[in-house]
Amino acid sequence: MAQRTEDLVERFTHALQALEKAAPFAKSRYQTDVYQEANRLLRTEDGLEQLFHFAHQFEDIGVFQDGPWENAENLQPPLVSGSLKAKGVPMIIEILSELRMLAIAKGAYTHPKVSADMAEEFLNEVLALNLNLLFPDASESARIEKHENDDLTSEVFQFIASYLSTNALTKTLVSEITRITAQRPIMIKRVVSMIRMGKEMLKSDLEYDERESLLTYIEAIEGPSPLSKQYRDLSIYRSRLRELSQQELRSECVAMAASMRKTGLTCPHHATLLRVLSKKVPTLIPYALQLNGKGKANLEEHQDMVTQLIKVAIFPATCQSIYGLALMLERGVLSSSPVMPGLRRLIELDILPDVRTALLKTVRNGEGMTANSILVAGVISVLGQPLGVGQGFNPTCQAARGISLWAQHAPGVLLELIPRAARDGDIDFTFEGLPIHSKDLTGGLAPELHTELDPVSLVLVPHLDRIYSEMMTKVALRGEDGHRWVNPAFYGDWVSKGFSTVIDPLTGFINDFSGFVRLFYATHHPDYNDDYELIYPNPVGIFITNVRGKLLGFHAVSIIRIAKDPSDQYRVYFYNPNNDSSQNWGQNIEPSVMGNGEQEGECSLPFHEFTSRLYAFHYNPYEQGDAYAVEPHLINQVQQLAKESWGEDHTWV
Amino acid sequence: MELDQLERESSTQETDLKEKTKPYLTALIGWSLPAIEAATRLNRPFVVVGPPDFESYAEKHDIAFVGWDFHKLNEGSDLLYKKLKALGAELAVPLYEECVEWAGALNARFREEPRIFNRSLLLRDKGMMKRKAQIAGIKVGVFEEARSIEDVKWFLKRVNEALLKIDGDVYDPIHVKPLDKAGSVGHLAINTVEDVEKLQDQDFPLLMESHLDGQEFSCEAFVHKGKVRFLNITEYIRLGYSNFVPASPSLEEKRPLIEKAVQQLVDAFEIEYGVIHPEYFITPDGTLHFGEVAARVPGGHIFDLIEKAYGFSAYEAQILCSDPNTTNEELELFFPNPSDFEGYAGCLMVHPHTDYVKELNIPEELEEHPFFEKHDLFTPPQGKVAERIGFGNHYGTIFFHGDDSEEMRRLLQLYEEYNFYR
Repeated sequence: MAQRTEDLVERFTHALQALEKAAPFAKSRYQTDVYQEANRLLRTEDGLEQLFHFAHQFEDIGVFQDGPWENAENLQPPLVSGSLKAKGVPMIIEILSELRMLAIAKGAYTHPKVSADMAEEFLNEVLALNLNLLFPDASESARIEKHENDDLTSEVFQFIASYLSTNALTKTLVSEITRITAQRPIMIKRVVSMIRMGKEMLKSDLEYDERESLLTYIEAIEGPSPLSKQYRDLSIYRSRLRELSQQELRSECVAMAASMRKTGLTCPHHATLLRVLSKKVPTLIPYALQLNGKGKANLEEHQDMVTQLIKVAIFPATCQSIYGLALMLERGVLSSSPVMPGLRRLIELDILPDVRTALLKTVRNGEGMTANSILVAGVISVLGQPLGVGQGFNPTCQAARGISLWAQHAPGVLLELIPRAARDGDIDFTFEGLPIHSKDLTGGLAPELHTELDPVSLVLVPHLDRIYSEMMTKVALRGEDGHRWVNPAFYGDWVSKGFSTVIDPLTGFINDFSGFVRLFYATHHPDYNDDYELIYPNPVGIFITNVRGKLLGFHAVSIIRIAKDPSDQYRVYFYNPNNDSSQNWGQNIEPSVMGNGEQEGECSLPFHEFTSRLYAFHYNPYEQGDAYAVEPHLINQVQQLAKESWGEDHTWV
Repeated sequence: MELDQLERESSTQETDLKEKTKPYLTALIGWSLPAIEAATRLNRPFVVVGPPDFESYAEKHDIAFVGWDFHKLNEGSDLLYKKLKALGAELAVPLYEECVEWAGALNARFREEPRIFNRSLLLRDKGMMKRKAQIAGIKVGVFEEARSIEDVKWFLKRVNEALLKIDGDVYDPIHVKPLDKAGSVGHLAINTVEDVEKLQDQDFPLLMESHLDGQEFSCEAFVHKGKVRFLNITEYIRLGYSNFVPASPSLEEKRPLIEKAVQQLVDAFEIEYGVIHPEYFITPDGTLHFGEVAARVPGGHIFDLIEKAYGFSAYEAQILCSDPNTTNEELELFFPNPSDFEGYAGCLMVHPHTDYVKELNIPEELEEHPFFEKHDLFTPPQGKVAERIGFGNHYGTIFFHGDDSEEMRRLLQLYEEYNFYR
């Protein structure tokens, strides 16, 4: 726009003054003009700077009043990028809101509920989550997915970053990466792109710790060993490997494996190394995987099979499966009798064209991969990291939970289902005596699957999703929560037949909550359940609540085990298929993924906090302890947490 | 605010209310922020009667509020009067079309003058309205009420026969509209017998009228004690799209004639207080045809335009004129001389010309034009983030202000054709 900035600032000032003068109830009539003038200013050279001069007044004047941005303390960093991508008003208000936060962070405005530190933390997290916009054009995918507002958004983020310390931002980024990698997801695309973005930060002045941790992650995906640092090009690296002495080769192996074990991430060079080893020096494979005793024994026992798997499935494009391979050997999965023939079948499986296309889409063009290789690599990952299975962006937590459960306890079942889906385009289950074929079904929870999934999920989820939905439909009118029958039928006999839910399915009311809590304690809490140990994962339903404790919806997780944490407190360790387990559930209930005795892929909560979000669980009716013995104060504690969060949306009777 | 505990049980109200009756509450019938602002500025104690949805907002901002569903009519309707009376309300101001008869009924009870309600009903039934005007000798087109498609076909045929059309001639159009909807809501021009078939059963009964030639304009007359205290003339460029205030000199020239006609209308309809918004057609020889009249806040941002051009708040004017206790002096002090205006204020309501809107495109020369004041058009948000935003109309309006009515007309015509959304 050709208007002069001074004129625009004046127009903005007028609009702001009109809003300031307006009675509190009438602010909305004058906000529009402020947004309009702000939008004009944003399009000028130093518009952001100009707007920032006013940012400390925004809140008192009423710029955000009565809208979603009204309460700064409720804003959530992950939602920022969505608003910025939306065109029009949401984008403008979002930018004004960021400027408000910056004013708070810089001490220009004292907010009653958000301190300067909190504001800075908020902005750091926003930036950490949007590094692709802070450093535009740094990634291929950013270019492909480029959005119209991106230029302006980048400007906004760069403006904010110029006022904040890069070190703090890096710290946030590193902790975000650590948090994600601690869960050891199979799908690492998101975290890899965060790490790539983090590279840009190395250019600025960072403190030692931040620089080091960032470097660790960068090396983990780009090459952590002496030789891989030296030779980025894989073919040169490969020929150099062949020239190394046994000694040098071993240190190469150790460096690679150490990085993998530390971060759960691998680099393409690692695949090259493993391929060379399997042909030339298979004795070094245990070093390249840093196998423990059990892993080594398993490798020794199945040397031929492992060599074959490496040959077929471990390529630079599928290097992440190396981590799965290592863990698979340590879990001893190959010793389970159906696994070896099951894997062999996959290598030569005649894959349906559409499945083939879907699988090939998971790697870049020109990698020279076959769909079978991708599928086998995917199976290795799943068998090695059953808790690393994620639902991606799909509402298919049940299917993910099934894949994870079978990978843990019934690899044979999983290896039956995969060829059925990939080769026959059909999976059949028997439900209460009647066969259900996925090929006859439509719909499901995710009729349009978001395909950022691991290969196994990519093949199975469309079928499992439809079957689960069909089972639920069949029991919908029984006047009881259908999961009672569907879960054992769907997941298999590993699920106990006893079932309890807190919601009355006919009325939607909360009925006998204390009885529900008592039963859960008596069947699950070691102090009350006569020491029955949980053997198979227990698929349970939980209420998902947001940071304010407000009910967002229902979610499926599996309890893995219940044990004391390092501080001697009983915790529920569970698997959350959303792969972002450490969300804040409000009321200071924040599932942790590390530091409280979690094993890789688990997240955990203190027993009572978990119980407060539970709405349905299975139990073995023959393994009940002493429900009457659960102390009332424990029940009251749980009930209070429940009532003051999701319970507010329910009627209690 | 001392009035925010309205919803309490009557038992607790008894004692407080004696005192609260004193302030002489104005009941604003319909939820309108500018009207609430006006009442606040006038320092009048007031209560808002609006759809129950607004209750929480009113509560948040300490606005005295009575939730009411204007579309529900039953033996419980009397409750509204009782509630308001108990609060100390003495006067009701209608803000929207469907509030007019409610305000009429309330004022009839407040002033103990049952006929006020009947008068308000005249304004809510376009058939009755026309008939009343005709009886009073006001020039109207030919009109009839239709109950079926056959009625419409017959009317179309007879009107054109009267116009001496013979087979093969192009028919003169007729217009049909619902009896009780605001402005151009549901209005349809019918040119051929085939057009009649577009009408659905639920469109009936409706009002049919012959086509009136001439320039269309509206008036906003502020009436107190049966006398027009201020008359604004709004020039329409295109009904429902663009208009400006005050009218251009060629139309303002006819002001004496128009003033006379409006006073005649006020007398005929026995309107005593408040604002009326009649629409007329004027032919080049100065003949006025009455279109219709409403007794509420007009559409088309006309009140905003009046404020811009004349410098007084039309919302305040409406409240003042609705109150029998407002004095002559107050009104004389309040209203300016109609010839005393500060430039022409116009607006263009933007409707996308396409079915699917993707992006907003505002030409630079529009924003740089000295007449350009502001607009509230935003790029339509896309994707999931479609949050409620704190303003009402979704496509938006462009406001102009300048000293030349011809240039104003040119701008409004020019940009009405423009594709702001693509």
